[in-house]
Amino acid sequence: MPEIKVQNGNMAAATGAALCRPDVIAAYPITPQTPVVEYLTQFKADGEIESTMSEVESELSAMSVVTGASLAGSRTFTATASQGLALMYEPYFRASTLRLPIVMAVVNREMISPQTLWGGPQDALCVRDAGWIQIYVEDNQEILDTIILAFRLAEDKGVLLPVNVCYDGFYLSHMSERVEVPDQASVDAFLPHYVPEHIKLDPVRPMSVDPLTNGYLLTEYRLRHTQGHQRALKLIDELDAEFANQFGRSYGGLVEEYCNTDSDAVLVTMGSMTGVAREAVDLARARGRKIGLLKLRAVRPFPGARVVKAIAGRKAFGVVDRSVSFGWGTGITFREIRSAMYGEGSNIPAVPMIGGLGGEDVTIEHMMLAIDCIYQAVESGLSNETVWLNKEIDIM
Amino acid sequence: MNIYEKLAMQEEMISPGISACVGCNVELTIRTVMRVLGPNTILAIPPGCMGGVGVVGWDKKSGSKTPVFFPLLDNVASMLAGIKLHYEHIGQKVNVVAFAGDGASADAGLQCLSGAAERGDKILYICYDNEGYMNTGYQRSGTTTKGAWTSTTPVSRQGCGGKKQDKKDFPMIMAMHDIPYMATCNPAFIKDMVDKVEKAMAVEDGLAFLYVYNPCLTGWGIQSDKSIESARAAVDSNFAPLYEVINGTFKLNYQPKETIPVKNFVSYCKKFSHLNDLEIENLQQQTDSKWHRLQMLCEMG
Amino acid sequence: MKYISDYIVPIGPEGLYIIDTGKWRTRRPEMDIMKCKKCGTCFLYCPVHAVKRHEDKSYTIDYTYCKGCGICANECRFDSIEMIPEEGDSDA
Repeated sequence: MPEIKVQNGNMAAATGAALCRPDVIAAYPITPQTPVVEYLTQFKADGEIESTMSEVESELSAMSVVTGASLAGSRTFTATASQGLALMYEPYFRASTLRLPIVMAVVNREMISPQTLWGGPQDALCVRDAGWIQIYVEDNQEILDTIILAFRLAEDKGVLLPVNVCYDGFYLSHMSERVEVPDQASVDAFLPHYVPEHIKLDPVRPMSVDPLTNGYLLTEYRLRHTQGHQRALKLIDELDAEFANQFGRSYGGLVEEYCNTDSDAVLVTMGSMTGVAREAVDLARARGRKIGLLKLRAVRPFPGARVVKAIAGRKAFGVVDRSVSFGWGTGITFREIRSAMYGEGSNIPAVPMIGGLGGEDVTIEHMMLAIDCIYQAVESGLSNETVWLNKEIDIM
Repeated sequence: MNIYEKLAMQEEMISPGISACVGCNVELTIRTVMRVLGPNTILAIPPGCMGGVGVVGWDKKSGSKTPVFFPLLDNVASMLAGIKLHYEHIGQKVNVVAFAGDGASADAGLQCLSGAAERGDKILYICYDNEGYMNTGYQRSGTTTKGAWTSTTPVSRQGCGGKKQDKKDFPMIMAMHDIPYMATCNPAFIKDMVDKVEKAMAVEDGLAFLYVYNPCLTGWGIQSDKSIESARAAVDSNFAPLYEVINGTFKLNYQPKETIPVKNFVSYCKKFSHLNDLEIENLQQQTDSKWHRLQMLCEMG
Repeated sequence: MKYISDYIVPIGPEGLYIIDTGKWRTRRPEMDIMKCKKCGTCFLYCPVHAVKRHEDKSYTIDYTYCKGCGICANECRFDSIEMIPEEGDSDA
């Protein structure tokens, strides 16, 4: 029987991971992820999990230990945030190109400089092309559920790619919500035992792992890697349905649409700010605007087709990003969505918006302002310059 | 059983044809060590000489009959720790071994190695010290001897230069981690090396560390037939002494019947050919004071 | 789509990668059986393990991978190995 508990995001992540019975866990504490490590070591001390734990001395080692264990055949879990993710970039890239089904929770935190601790997906978004699957979640229930889904997705024989489950630091990690925790038996039924066949360091079946490789072979491995992502595109939606069937909760798969069927404009958000966006959409609709909301969940593989389907035929769309794509001057997911709209829908006015950086609140007023900017674009028929929501701006 | 019978009985684990330099004593070391370790071994070879010569293989083939892989230059000990944790988790005994150069151990990989030593990860870490990043063109490392020519601490046209800083006493650093077993080895002392590998394999309560001093023929400018002779001179001059540290107790394994001057060892290597008498005297003094320190530690019992 | 490799990740499960290092030689070690005292020194120090020990405790050199480094000749205490110029290839 599932249990209803009050859990903060970090506890939800630790609980989700524990339910998946990882064989080896190695993580290094970093704000705002630290409680995840603490909870997991407490579970182990209390005999609630049987995972072998390693208290490593940096994130470089955390990802390295977990990669080594996964190469030997373990199911593995780790977690980190911003600076830690940056520090582990070397083995992080390798985890995906060696097709290791590692699941890592990233407690999204703004990157230094300036000196900061607070929430934002800049950290994980900056490494989105390192080959991992990345899913960004909105609330604590989704954290727990997505971690379970992540293992199932990662270990699928057609995918075999590591997965990042990303959630906003402090907004989710340190905030308590009602979370329904599934029972162990249900999770065991959803998540079969992991047995690696494609790569293994085992004296019983000797092979060299990662020998020096010629370009023509490297090209093939890259191509197959992209195919893993293609398979994930389908599987993420399929698994969402299967999960809904078994546990009664659905998140839409690659993206979720809210009030979007009859919309004439679309607001796009990701992560915890989606909660405020939903409120703003309800408010705007009450005032007569037919705005729809698109919540981006998967950034890799990028759900191009589903994004196009959600936005095509509308009169404008706007993306509120909690990140910056330096050199473009817009947010990062805005660029991804804009790219997807090339072709069918390329002439739809697009409004890039940036808000909530460095842990600043994205309030309902900001979201209403965002919707106003989108409707400005509807009227003018033109795309906008980037709107920085937390700064003073003029509305024409 | 004597050492000859023992080694002859064991199967060769490394590919018979690897592109190590003619006379390379690191090749001798890895072949010897792997004969002792045997097939129940997972071998980590970071970027460096042994990786470069084909021990990890090429394309779809391997350089070892055992499982072998390339860790990153800076995470050898951690990847091995992870592998070992898996096998502990499933209750299976496997030798988990690193064969890493000084670059991957004392420089870029020191953090991971230090962490693994402190945590007591049950791996066997073998460091071959050829005093530089030899595979990529003889760049200096933290364990390069003071005054040595390297491609990043070159000698000027006027004939002076070489590395300005002292050699990091890496085996001592590892000994100070209070690991269960630390030992220095030398390719000129094969029986001693084999004994130490066996002792290291038997360690069950933490990290076992072996440090091999390997004069690099190509990088230091040593004649290929003098490969073993120069290594022996390093020991006989007390420059690279042979000792063990077993659970914190220091033990000297070899005292030269007649200590030779460091100058004799230096004379084998072209990389020292520009040194003046003062610089060589400095090396002699350093060697003497380190030897004295070692003797004090051994006397402490 | 046709692939060159059956594998989705870089692995090397197809046997040993062997380089024909015997072809590197410019000089080869010749052992004088009369002078050889079967001490085993050359066996211990050959870096490619080209010196083979036999049941009767004698030692011979297998030239397949011998690179001609000269360590065996240099280390032999009984002058039983001499380095002579290499002529032809490794199975000559």
